[in-house]
Amino acid sequence: MAALNLSSTVHTPVPTTFSLRLLLSYSPQNTPTLSFYSHSKPSLLFPSVSLRPTTTIKPRSLNTVVVSALKKLSETDLVSIPPESDQLAVKFPSDSGVYAVYDKNNDLQFVGISRNIAASVLAHRKFVPGLCYSVKVGVVDEPDRTALTQAWKSWMEEHIGATGKVPPGNESGNTTWVRQPLKKKPDLRLTPGRHVQLTVPLQELIDRLVKENKVVAFIKGSRSAPLCGFSQRVVGILESEGVDYESVDVLDEEYNNGLRETLKNYSNWPTFPQIFVNGELVGGCDILSSMHEKGELAGLFKN
Amino acid sequence: MTSRGANALLSRASRIKSKLQTALEATVLEVDDVSYKHAGHAAVRENPNNETHFDVKIVSSKFDGQSLVKRHRMVYDLLADELQSGLHALSIVAKTPNEVRQD
Repeated sequence: MAALNLSSTVHTPVPTTFSLRLLLSYSPQNTPTLSFYSHSKPSLLFPSVSLRPTTTIKPRSLNTVVVSALKKLSETDLVSIPPESDQLAVKFPSDSGVYAVYDKNNDLQFVGISRNIAASVLAHRKFVPGLCYSVKVGVVDEPDRTALTQAWKSWMEEHIGATGKVPPGNESGNTTWVRQPLKKKPDLRLTPGRHVQLTVPLQELIDRLVKENKVVAFIKGSRSAPLCGFSQRVVGILESEGVDYESVDVLDEEYNNGLRETLKNYSNWPTFPQIFVNGELVGGCDILSSMHEKGELAGLFKN
Repeated sequence: MTSRGANALLSRASRIKSKLQTALEATVLEVDDVSYKHAGHAAVRENPNNETHFDVKIVSSKFDGQSLVKRHRMVYDLLADELQSGLHALSIVAKTPNEVRQD
């Protein structure tokens, strides 16, 4: 999901120069990111475009090559957002393109670009339900960076040209539509520390942990910095599947002392990483990778 | 293949190969020592012989009707001695002859 913000607002009737700033927000759907994106430093400046808010928009001829298939904002149908997310997936394309979100009064709130329009709309509706009533969608056929940016610009320019206003969500400093990255969960610890005498055997702590949590990954290193290539791949797969999982660092000698040997016996599996779902060992990196490639994981995590 | 006494002198790769071949009657069996790829790994540094990481590809009809977890466990069980003596990680592809035909 991508969001473009205008870094300055427009109220003057005289020709004005904007710089356009691009932001891309976090997407749990693992939408491919645009390569020039940097969340912490949204510093990319577009070449300035001149706009005359009170006159008609620029001739389309400049853009026709890149966004030939894109309709004008005013000519695009307004589609209301269905209440159920599975209907939403049917109603909106999972393609790349530009989208404009309207509130209940049919006021334009935000224009964004996305690598997966349906996913972006779903995320917006989840996080700002009060402002998401209906959406206009423009799929961009060859969605490279330039084409997407052009599509966004043409809709923004058209709207500003018609109303003299920047959509509120695109105003500089408005972060309503740009989600901050979710903080990574901390790794779970099995014990309070190696010097604390356990009252329950470690084996039983493992058993409780994997049964009380839907998905648990025993990895080498932390989830934010795995220390082994296989563990890293496992973390990558779980995150790309959008799984809410718990992680345990088997190398943590302070809080998980003795875990490696005990876990090997518990699971009857001699290597790490190990992934448990609903208390059952799914396997290690090879099995998870193979299930991921075959598309079998979604079903596994659902049940 | 070889006498028991000579086994200890063979490379870990050949020991793995003969153990899997004997028990699983594999129709395809590839064992690659990829320890060099993990040279910086702590477990590798601890092991002077540096035979720690292997890629194993096995096709065996003994995998018929077995889940992936069970197949991997069969392989691990056969290599328990190796895992006790410095074998650190295996990347396993375990298929049945039927699955190979479908690919």
